[in-house]
Amino acid sequence: MPAGRDERASVRAAQRGSASGIEALFRLHWPRAYRAAYLVVHDTAAAEDIAQEAFIAAVRNLDRFDRSRPFGPWLHRIVVNRAIDWTRTRQLRAEAELVEDVPAPPREPLDGSLLGALAALPPEHRAVIVLRHLLGYTPGEIAELLGLPRGTVNSRLRRGLDSLQETV
Amino acid sequence: MRKELERIEIPGEHETRERSLRLLLTAYAERSPAAPRRSWKPVFALAAVALLAAGSLSPPGRAVLGDLREAVGVEEAQPALFSLPTGGRLLVTGDSGAWVVEPDGSKRLLGPYRDAAWSPFGRYVAATRANELVAMTPAGDVRWSLARPSARSPRWAGTATDTRIAFVTDSRLHVVAGNGRRDVDAGGGPAPAAGVAPAWRPGREFELTYLDARHRVATFAVERPGASWRSIVLPDTRQLVWSPGGSRLLVVGRNRLVFLRGSDGRAAVRREPGVTAAAWAAGGRLAVVRTAAGRSDLVVDGRVRLSTAGTLGAPVWSPDGRWLLVSLAEADQWIFIRAAGRQQIRAVANVSKQFRSRAFPQVAGWCCAR
Repeated sequence: MPAGRDERASVRAAQRGSASGIEALFRLHWPRAYRAAYLVVHDTAAAEDIAQEAFIAAVRNLDRFDRSRPFGPWLHRIVVNRAIDWTRTRQLRAEAELVEDVPAPPREPLDGSLLGALAALPPEHRAVIVLRHLLGYTPGEIAELLGLPRGTVNSRLRRGLDSLQETV
Repeated sequence: MRKELERIEIPGEHETRERSLRLLLTAYAERSPAAPRRSWKPVFALAAVALLAAGSLSPPGRAVLGDLREAVGVEEAQPALFSLPTGGRLLVTGDSGAWVVEPDGSKRLLGPYRDAAWSPFGRYVAATRANELVAMTPAGDVRWSLARPSARSPRWAGTATDTRIAFVTDSRLHVVAGNGRRDVDAGGGPAPAAGVAPAWRPGREFELTYLDARHRVATFAVERPGASWRSIVLPDTRQLVWSPGGSRLLVVGRNRLVFLRGSDGRAAVRREPGVTAAAWAAGGRLAVVRTAAGRSDLVVDGRVRLSTAGTLGAPVWSPDGRWLLVSLAEADQWIFIRAAGRQQIRAVANVSKQFRSRAFPQVAGWCCAR
């Protein structure tokens, strides 16, 4: 996945201190980064935090970024790994809803079909589905991004898709 | 499937994108300039010499987790603050007043102020003393002052060109423009509760959060009337801390952390026995201090980074999010903990004496590489 000319120009501009360069990178990559985070964590606030933190981490390390490489995978690796971590932590350290005598606002609605089915998958399976089918990475690229054996990626994809097909 | 995944509607997606862009541009403006590239050969050579020496000589002022003895404090502490472990400047308050500490350890007494806060980008300091709010440069040159009864807890937010300072008096929550004009009674709601500072919501145009005297947390846009939301009653609130992007407010309570959703204040609670304070780094890492039975833990993202006898103070992140500073009053020490990469601990002793303070000095902020 080579970096496009526009993206390389934006990275170069951002490295030189141009805010328009960083804005161009943001406009190019935010929608998918945020959506990927949301589809893994299923919580808008957490997805916002995760995508923002990934961009801020990218900004902090911009000076060390190799312009010949594409920006997207670098960002997506941070986003997806943080989203998996967040979901695991959430499962381990449960937060209970805290209410008074007034009824709580309704939970964020889950889409009746695909979104709900995704939510039923383990976070690691959601992540590979999102990387493969939203962000368009090959299983080999996903294995590299997540630091997993390719066979593990393939089996997670297969099991994840099987579950989605059963539910949807 | 790709089209279906792209079609899934995410509530508030557009607003999220725009405020995230504002936040990112602010972070970009505040980032440290690139360090010049250098050859690592001399560094490796020095490291090898240091490793050889380490067998017989423990480097002063440094320890690793697990080396802390049961005695209160870090045994091998530097006798004075010779330098900060990373960039930025500290703002410190004590009996003698407010101080600015430079990266090389040099200190400047700004004056007899009891509370202080950095402006965005660290260009100015807001400070309070009895019946006065003052804005000054980090060199101590006063730009303006405002007489208000028992002014305290200043908090400064905004952009490079447009800022507001929130502060509290005995019965009111105030907001004043960065030039000292247009002091207004903010929010129009109940008076603020004592002892809990207000907090600006990051990434929004002047949305302010405070704990009111009825123990509800209220968030409102200071330029518009009415509260955006008001939380359930949270009677044991000690501290309000916004997440870096402003999507969640952390309310530190007694033995629990309450997360309020930024959009509507919906609350979720997590048990955290002994929690006393928390701090969010700009990169999203959460540091929490827990104290029980005479011992304290500093926990970062669920992992204990420091465990010691005594009572740790509130954690403060360095501007680059790599180091944490916690105080240990019983040992009269500050402890710097590297929270990124290889763990490292550096302690500084005799803190009160260095700031000419009988009470243990408080770190009011660590701001902004120059």
